Amino acid sequence: MAENKSFPELRRKLTPGWWTANRHYVQYMFREWTSLFVALFSLVYIYGLSLWATGSRNAFLNLLKNPATIAFSFIALIFTLYHAATWFYLLGQVVPMKIGKTTSKPWQALAVNLVLMLIVSYLVIWLLVLR
Amino acid sequence: MAAGVEMRETHKVARLHAVLWGIFSLGGMIAAFLLPVMIYLTGIAYPLGLWPFNGSRDPSFLVTGTLLGMLFVFVTIAGSLFHGIFRFQSALTEVGLLRFKKGLEAVGYFLIFAGIIVLAYYLLVLNPSLPTL
Repeated sequence: MAENKSFPELRRKLTPGWWTANRHYVQYMFREWTSLFVALFSLVYIYGLSLWATGSRNAFLNLLKNPATIAFSFIALIFTLYHAATWFYLLGQVVPMKIGKTTSKPWQALAVNLVLMLIVSYLVIWLLVLR
Repeated sequence: MAAGVEMRETHKVARLHAVLWGIFSLGGMIAAFLLPVMIYLTGIAYPLGLWPFNGSRDPSFLVTGTLLGMLFVFVTIAGSLFHGIFRFQSALTEVGLLRFKKGLEAVGYFLIFAGIIVLAYYLLVLNPSLPTL
């Protein structure tokens, strides 16, 4: 099939370190790698539930109180917040809103969604813990 | 005839890709809006005795206290797991592992679907009779 093409296909070969070429690529790759912490926290949580389901509730709570888990949770929270901020900014870039004659800017989507996130977080705490 | 079959297969694959990318985006929204508060509650506030866990409750209440809490745990963990692994395995193919794309996808989807099934199973085991809303 490829031999029948009138023009050769030109593909730029990328080296494994292509993303270090400039600041934007580094930011992009950093953003993608933060997803590792999103996945790891989920796996740790499922592991905790397995300790509870096959053992006792205290085993689950002791896992949460483990200093290594607390340190990991801090790191995971920082990266998850970074993931959230970049996701909201990306939303503003991909689907900008048209209000009258003006089009929304990505930073406006970031600001609105961050406020929304705080409201949602408080609602979750109120509904599931304080109520 | 063969071209028609091939086209139908291509459409099927394209539809599956669209569905998977749709779930990925939904997972992104869930991870952005719900995961930070989940990490704060279970991994930081409870072990360090911070608000709102400075009283009698602990994070196990999220799992078995109410149906809403159980659904919150399922949606947040399942959505974040899907989004996190999907995105990470795709990032790996961009740093020189493109030739292992099929294997990475297989491991990634296995972790996602096994993780979600195991999560649902444990939530049901811990809530033999579903709690009230």
